Amino acid sequence: MGLISNGSTIFDNGAMASGFGGNMVFIKKLTASSSATLSFVDGSDGVVLDDTYKEYVFTFKNIHPATDQANFQFNLSIDAGSNYNVTKTSSGFRAFHPENDSYTGLAYWASGLAQSTNFQSITDGLDNDNDSCGNGTLTLFNPSSAVFVKHYISTCQINEGGSQESMNNFVGGYGNTTSAVDAVQFKMSSGNIDSGDICLYGIA
Amino acid sequence: MPRYHNINGVQVQFTAEEEAARDTEEAAWAAGAFDRAIADVRVKRDRLIAQTDYLALSDNTLTDAMTTYRQALRDITNGVDTVEKCNNITWPTKP
Repeated sequence: MGLISNGSTIFDNGAMASGFGGNMVFIKKLTASSSATLSFVDGSDGVVLDDTYKEYVFTFKNIHPATDQANFQFNLSIDAGSNYNVTKTSSGFRAFHPENDSYTGLAYWASGLAQSTNFQSITDGLDNDNDSCGNGTLTLFNPSSAVFVKHYISTCQINEGGSQESMNNFVGGYGNTTSAVDAVQFKMSSGNIDSGDICLYGIA
Repeated sequence: MPRYHNINGVQVQFTAEEEAARDTEEAAWAAGAFDRAIADVRVKRDRLIAQTDYLALSDNTLTDAMTTYRQALRDITNGVDTVEKCNNITWPTKP
């Protein structure tokens, strides 16, 4: 049984016909082991971060900080990782609910940058109990454009470390550069990334 | 303990300059811990007060219980002067 629209076969025999849909292509996985930073740099060790794809997705799994209540952050580079200091402007908000059910909330999150070269926080303070971690995604759009600034969107779900909350962090912003972004670095605001994986995918 | 980058899966030890810069960065982060924590408390407090603002409109009279609850929220930061106290706030129960 197939799916045909206006004479074009879209699905047949359980598979999508060529020319429809796209692919999420795995590029590289980095595993933290008491790592101060995790960096994806275009052009070596199988890492692609150029005009091969118009959209790149980083996925974070079980990010566990060495230091309690440290934020998970990233920055962009336009010189193959020599400097992570792209000027960024952004905003964020967060939804939260503690384990003791004493409140719920949805609020602006002061993670936003205004023409700053600082690292961009994409989670609030992660809890570092043995069973706590953070997970999420960061999407970077068209990093090689010579015309447009470099927009990004991140959503993360964490154990927040201060009040033992479930917290969902949302951040959107742009690297205010028309130079090609060719490297991305992740780190905690303080202390190492004790453990966790980051995978990079290209969206074809 | 030396720090390490993981660059495309390759471990690279921090240079002395990078170690010093990271030490400074981490000290600044630690120094701002209370400011971040108390700001977080205020965000939650403001949210809880806002949830009962409609009861304080001029054409409505607050009950004593609600007046007490809202005042307790406004006073929630009194005496809270450490990160630990921020993390262990006892929130009043909404009437």
